[in-house]
Amino acid sequence: MAVSMLIGLVFAGPFLYVLWRNITLGSDLWGELTSASTLRAMTRSVTLATAVSLSTAALGTALAWLTTRTDVPGRRLWRVLAPLPLVFPSFVGAAALLAAVAPGGLVEELLGPVGADRMPDLNGFDGAWLVLTLFTYPYVYLPVAARLTLLPSSLEESARLLGRGPWSVFRTIVLPQCQGAIWAGTLLVFLYTISDFGAVKLLRYNTLTTQIYANRLFDRSQSFALALILALLALGVVVAERVNARRAVRVEAIGAGRPHVVHLGRWRFVALVGLLAVLVGALIGPVATLLYWAVRGLTGAAGSTDLATVAAPTINTAVIGLITAVVAVIVVLPVAFLTTRYRSRTGGVANTFVVAGFAIPGLVVALALVFWVLNAPLLGSLYQTLPVLIFAYVVHFGAQSMRAAQVAVSGVPPRMGDAARMLGAGPLRRLSTVDLPLMAPGLVAGAGLVLLSTMKELPATLLLRPTNVDTLSTEIWNAAEDGFLTDMSVSALVLVALSGVLTWLLVMRRDPSR
Amino acid sequence: MRRTRLVALPLLALALVAAVPACTSDSERLTIYSGRSEDIIEPLLVEFAEETGIDIDVRYGDSADLALLINEEGDQSPADVFLSQSPGAVGFLDQQGALAPLDESILDLVDAENRASDGNWVGISGRVRVLVYNTDDVDPADLPDSVLDLTDPAFEGDVAVAPSNASFQDFVTAMRSELGDDVAEEWLTGMADNDAPVYANNTAIVEAVGRGEVPMGLVNHYYNVRAKEEDPSVPSENYTFPDGDIGSLLIVTAASVLETSDLPDEAAQLVEFLLSEDSQEFYSEETFEYPLAAGVEPADSLAPLDTLSVDTIDFDELGGGLERTRELIEDSGLED
Repeated sequence: MAVSMLIGLVFAGPFLYVLWRNITLGSDLWGELTSASTLRAMTRSVTLATAVSLSTAALGTALAWLTTRTDVPGRRLWRVLAPLPLVFPSFVGAAALLAAVAPGGLVEELLGPVGADRMPDLNGFDGAWLVLTLFTYPYVYLPVAARLTLLPSSLEESARLLGRGPWSVFRTIVLPQCQGAIWAGTLLVFLYTISDFGAVKLLRYNTLTTQIYANRLFDRSQSFALALILALLALGVVVAERVNARRAVRVEAIGAGRPHVVHLGRWRFVALVGLLAVLVGALIGPVATLLYWAVRGLTGAAGSTDLATVAAPTINTAVIGLITAVVAVIVVLPVAFLTTRYRSRTGGVANTFVVAGFAIPGLVVALALVFWVLNAPLLGSLYQTLPVLIFAYVVHFGAQSMRAAQVAVSGVPPRMGDAARMLGAGPLRRLSTVDLPLMAPGLVAGAGLVLLSTMKELPATLLLRPTNVDTLSTEIWNAAEDGFLTDMSVSALVLVALSGVLTWLLVMRRDPSR
Repeated sequence: MRRTRLVALPLLALALVAAVPACTSDSERLTIYSGRSEDIIEPLLVEFAEETGIDIDVRYGDSADLALLINEEGDQSPADVFLSQSPGAVGFLDQQGALAPLDESILDLVDAENRASDGNWVGISGRVRVLVYNTDDVDPADLPDSVLDLTDPAFEGDVAVAPSNASFQDFVTAMRSELGDDVAEEWLTGMADNDAPVYANNTAIVEAVGRGEVPMGLVNHYYNVRAKEEDPSVPSENYTFPDGDIGSLLIVTAASVLETSDLPDEAAQLVEFLLSEDSQEFYSEETFEYPLAAGVEPADSLAPLDTLSVDTIDFDELGGGLERTRELIEDSGLED
């Protein structure tokens, strides 16, 4: 109880900071809330977030099912590749994809000879929706795939024996059991979309976030008023989702064994083409553009990029990302237990702040941390050290491990703990021998999300990192800032490759169905 | 096997956290917050450290974000020197009273129009606003003499802008300061009515012009210089508006010393170093910017400095400062 209150308070830090700044700057909150431009920006944020949520829910679930439950060719490879689009800093991913498909871009150059000479305009709502869908579906994919890996296949097999077709089994048995994971992932997508800055800015779609950034220096009171509105919006959405989630079907994750595999028959290749199409847009396309920029620069006149300089940032990125992922899972686990197993009210409040915090832009989280660390007693000497940076990441990305942890906790049948207790196992022993092993795939999926998000995070990294500690994302920013596309591409490619390796280590190697 | 890994990670975390030295309170090191990116300033800072024996720490970041950070840090800011990519961010800190006045001897190294009128910051190098154009799509003879002519229907949908970019905002602010709010407002609305395509930043515009997506764009000069360096075959060129037109404004990057610095002498020494002949040659030869001191000439490929519009924006005299500029841009409908 006390633990969850403490965790809730810590995660409420950015909210309290935004509230405090609204007071000290004398923001006209009501005026902002009712102004035409704010309403327009808010409508745009909500419309975009809703659209992206719907499409990622469908896409993420479909991909997760295809790669875990069917005999689609190459599924082991897809399982490593599918989460990777999440690793693109959104401005890099959007810029690369834009350059590829924009008028006069790579695709046009390649396809021009066969008649595709004018590509569609990717700007505004359509572009933002497409790009964000492609780069955020892993928020749904990872938890759903983790869920599917653990689902007992007995029900599906029974249904099949009773003569149900694959689609019917999917709809009536698989889908309801994944509902919790789908909701969890979709909520993250919604919160990510309303807080995203890089992609919407590049794609010229003005949202609340672009207004917060545009005014951050010159009209701080407006900027913080908008940030508060964004925070309230996020809190509202999280509360609404929790009320809804109470109705979700409770599913237990025992007797995992070997999951049921659906034989797609001649649909195998249709599925394969679909998978390829998504990955071309979300991963292969952007990577190809980055490669093109990198090779063009490295072989051209200005080929002065020193590849060795990427080594230290790569190690920093991996180490900091892994630590953050582990810490995030450990920190949110108590809240996940309280909300899921004990339905505690303070746990619910803590959960709301942890999850909604994800919608607060990284810059605001960073400034909040600066404020709290410098003004709290005893913490001052930690300013701009690694613990504070990791702490900021955990506050910013805790939501991602939270929902995965809740899904994992809810999958452990309480009667197994009861049985262990009757056999004389203490709480710690029960945790380590019963709960943790059963929750492992879910927890790892949550940790994976935190890892991928942390490695690309930019504003908080720039402001809070220990001086002279470079990461791949700071390298990417540095080069992009002044138009050094070659250097930017090299760092971004290393980031994608590093994520691929870490995803393989985390996801593939512990895959029970391989 | 799995158990050991689960245990090993938190242990590794603890070890790393413990290994971080508490060096932030170290007042013997000169701390620089740099809105100029590492690629274009680090060699100078390293040289300074080597020459003077002063240890330096540098925090790179977006100029506006760093200014907010310094403001949030208040009295406890570790920063001694703030280098800003544009007058906007350093002007913000000046208005918050965060900057200390620089010595006359340092200020005098730079012409009066390239430094703050209150002597709290000094320009160290400059970028010029230009019109970048695609040579396949645009005949140079058709380019106008003034940026104000771009609202002409002849240029409908042809000129890309980046209204959320700091340089664009500095340009509009300068336009207000030189020609008045009415002219600036009319120009912005005219550009919006002319359906000027909006991009996120200079790089995006230069890329788009290079591939022929849009024929022209208003940017800072060196993005195209860099694009040509990465791919010499790109059909894009910079055009400088003649006769000191406001469209070819020189925007300075600025250096300042923080009021709260505990190493004010060393901080001033760095600012002076950045204005030395060697440093100024670095801007000219390596970053293709305009040197502002020591009589160093800009690169041959650039228009001579005296043909450009040079103007320091006096934020105190300008009604509403950058906040008003933002308002004008928002109200013009350019971003919709």
